[in-house]
Amino acid sequence: MDNRLPEQEGMLQPERKKRAWAITMEGRTAIGGYLFLLPWLVGLVLFVLYPLFYSMYMSFHRVRFTGEGMVLERPGWDNYTYAFFSDNVFVAAILGTLKNSLFIIPIIVVFAFFVAILLNLKFPGRFFFRGIFFLPVIFGTGQVIMQIFGVASAGRLEMLDRYNVAIFITNNLPEVWAEPVLSVLNSFVLILWYSGVQILIFISGLQTIGISVYEAAKIDGATPWETFWKITLPAMTPFILLNLIYTIVDMFTLPLINPIMEMIVENMSKPQLGYGYASAQGWIYFIFMFALLLLVLLISRRWVYYAGKR
Amino acid sequence: MNAAAWKRRAKVLLLGNGDKSGWLARLLIYLILLDISVIYLNPFFYMISTMFKNGVDLVDPTIRWIPRAAELENLRLAWEGLRYMTSLSHSLLIVSMGAIFQVAFCSLAGYAFARIAFPGKAILFGLLLFSFLIPPQTIIIPLYILFGKLGWLGTPLAIVGPAIFGHGIKGALFVIIFRQFFLTLPKELEEAAKIDGAGLFRVYWRVILPLATPALLVVFLFSFIWHWNDTTFSQLMLRGELTPLSISLNGLDQVLNGTYGQEKEVKLNETIRMAASFLVIFPPLIVYYIAQRWFVEGVERTGLVE
Repeated sequence: MDNRLPEQEGMLQPERKKRAWAITMEGRTAIGGYLFLLPWLVGLVLFVLYPLFYSMYMSFHRVRFTGEGMVLERPGWDNYTYAFFSDNVFVAAILGTLKNSLFIIPIIVVFAFFVAILLNLKFPGRFFFRGIFFLPVIFGTGQVIMQIFGVASAGRLEMLDRYNVAIFITNNLPEVWAEPVLSVLNSFVLILWYSGVQILIFISGLQTIGISVYEAAKIDGATPWETFWKITLPAMTPFILLNLIYTIVDMFTLPLINPIMEMIVENMSKPQLGYGYASAQGWIYFIFMFALLLLVLLISRRWVYYAGKR
Repeated sequence: MNAAAWKRRAKVLLLGNGDKSGWLARLLIYLILLDISVIYLNPFFYMISTMFKNGVDLVDPTIRWIPRAAELENLRLAWEGLRYMTSLSHSLLIVSMGAIFQVAFCSLAGYAFARIAFPGKAILFGLLLFSFLIPPQTIIIPLYILFGKLGWLGTPLAIVGPAIFGHGIKGALFVIIFRQFFLTLPKELEEAAKIDGAGLFRVYWRVILPLATPALLVVFLFSFIWHWNDTTFSQLMLRGELTPLSISLNGLDQVLNGTYGQEKEVKLNETIRMAASFLVIFPPLIVYYIAQRWFVEGVERTGLVE
């Protein structure tokens, strides 16, 4: 036994050494990974998770300011019941936003898809046109757009006035839908302006489809029409989904279409409502948006095609 | 004999033969694109045209696009009303800091998500996607309180602070963009560098970052523009102590009315407002013009998405 021990040890030693070395290697990589992520993780806790839970906590309280600072009192559902049963603007505003976005989101996605296909064709000057269509990304989000579209109303389509479209719509649609349709038409150019990023996403998506697929289709005698429906569209479904999600998230931060942010900031300073109620509004809003996203994701499982799977 | 051949040639010339689009097809594409461009740029042209009009031209229905004389007084008033140099310096300070921090720290996080194996990655990535979805409306109040406690309100840190940690305006989106880009780079590069004995950060700094210029540029531009345009956060967090251009554009009316008294008609201010709008977007317009080439190509190369 005594004889075999050093031998055994000799056999085990390299093995154990190797394993230990392997663990530290992985461990070191993992530690490195956390180090890379460290700033982001700290930020996640400080600027995302903590505010999220804190606003939820506040939304169930009445927040008052006294000499000593902020006081949270009267825990309960007060803020939420007030939002749904007493505040006569808030829920209506959310529903109005949802109703508008039912029109706006498909318009943006279809328009961006159409323009992306055109811009992806090879023709001289396409970079010039791409420059034009990305231009609104620059002022697409800011205060300038409020000036141009909100105050000066330069975003109207002139043919609407010329052909009395408004009267036609109010006469032929039920009132519930005539209003969102009209408001969508009135800010049509504005809506087109919000499709800059979506065009970018679609173009980069179109570039992922290999040329060989199109060549094969051509050899098999497929017409461009068939190629579009059988190759381009299925390959683009993941990008359509992505754009739907992006547009929904984006749509819910636009000040012109969406008045909620203003309401929240306004309510922050109202003494009888305050931070608690404004937080509750933020959360109700989040839940509505999340529900819409979930709905889109659920429906998308039926039509999004993933290459490689199935 | 030649009738059929001519017909075919004409058809190829007009409609194309699949490889090359023909004249007719091309004409159609140009027509459609031009048409959409006109609708698209109409508000922009409106802004340019209005800013050179004087009060008489503005209400004259016979003048649509080209005013009788270029009225430069509007620009001067807008310049004063915006307190342009002060506001511009505030804007540039906040925007450049925000964009640089976001590029630096979002790319770090994006690299970790794309290339480094560590336990809990799936959960953290889920949290990343989740933080992309959270509307700023939901967390703006606690952030306001937090920044108040940190003493950040009214300083550039109120906007830039989260960017130092790879968050801030659309920070989650930028991390995702970087992740997608790093995923497309070939793995062999890093492995070769690792075999040569380079540590993780060295690989990142020396091998990955130089290859990532398109992604860095795209994120920098987006970050620049979105910081430039931000009003909601700036309005609340800066408390008017700093006035970037997006904020002073909001207060333009008050400044001008204060200067000129209330008797001035609101409608007449429109020319000045358009001039002010132009002044506000002029710097990003230049940046975009310079970077456009790389931007347009860079977006294609980033692969922005899976």
